[in-house]
Amino acid sequence: MSPADAVDADAHLGELLERARDGDRESLRELVRVLNPVLWRVARGQGLAAEDAADVVQTAWLELLRRLHEIRTPRAITAWLITTTRREAWHRQQRARRDVPDGGAAVETAVDPGPGPGERLIADERDRVLWTHFDRLSERCRDLLRIVAQVERPDYAVIAAAFGLPHGSIGPTRSRCLAKLRAMLLADPVWGAS
Amino acid sequence: MTGDLDDTDRDILARIARDDPPPPDLDERVLFALALADLEAEVARLAAATPALARAGEQAHTVTFDAASRTVMITVVERADNLVRVDGWLAPAAALVVELRLPEPAEPRVVTADDTGRFVFDEVPHGLAQLLIHPPTTGTPKVVTPSLQL
Repeated sequence: MSPADAVDADAHLGELLERARDGDRESLRELVRVLNPVLWRVARGQGLAAEDAADVVQTAWLELLRRLHEIRTPRAITAWLITTTRREAWHRQQRARRDVPDGGAAVETAVDPGPGPGERLIADERDRVLWTHFDRLSERCRDLLRIVAQVERPDYAVIAAAFGLPHGSIGPTRSRCLAKLRAMLLADPVWGAS
Repeated sequence: MTGDLDDTDRDILARIARDDPPPPDLDERVLFALALADLEAEVARLAAATPALARAGEQAHTVTFDAASRTVMITVVERADNLVRVDGWLAPAAALVVELRLPEPAEPRVVTADDTGRFVFDEVPHGLAQLLIHPPTTGTPKVVTPSLQL
């Protein structure tokens, strides 16, 4: 993605935010649709159980609503939501740890129907091989690929804000990470055979 | 960005995406919570969710929300007619007005807690809902919970 496209993506989010502020539900819906997959990954990346992660994402949006007037630029809204999600997730983790002695966190974990952060969906041999090699990637590569995989039309401005990286570096980093994983997979006979 | 990907790349990304996607109702839950017009409200955090003891044949679970000014605990009890009853407690106890927001076009339900902070909403349909606790005096913020699936 060129820097000009990144600026366009920022402008697009900015327009959505402006219209959402004016009460346009469709714009708000679009904003939520674009940003939620990234916020979800941020919350899950902090090790939260599925239900806690969903709640943290929601809390971040509610906080945004309260502070809408403080958000001046579209780039800020993304960074602001991501920072808030990360902070809320951290607080949630701290509280869970604090609650361990009285068994509260243990009960909470026990009733959580979602998969734990460390569990993977393995449907076939290729999935198994994929996750084996995926775990060999750097943490940045893993996080980045999980986000671009999740977002139907990745918004590099959003992803750049999530990683605190310049817009221009997301495309090349993504390509490098994907190429690395792809090379490992193509070299693995199990991936080729199944 | 999909333009420079071949089938192998797309297969790899699709497999990654299938693992741990956001819950299908996440957008809906966020939008329902955001539909609330009150921007000054204090947001309560989900503190704990546990299964609760219930009468024979009833299923129930308890959810606790913490806000700076107040804690709200609710027990959601399944009724035989596919509706639910919501038993709630406010701490510190106060006879406050409690509102249960439901997706449009359903009207919000409004009850007043008793002196011990207890309140009940009965015959509530399954689906999204959000609690609002109205302040005892004007000038203090409302407390809102995130939206929850009853």
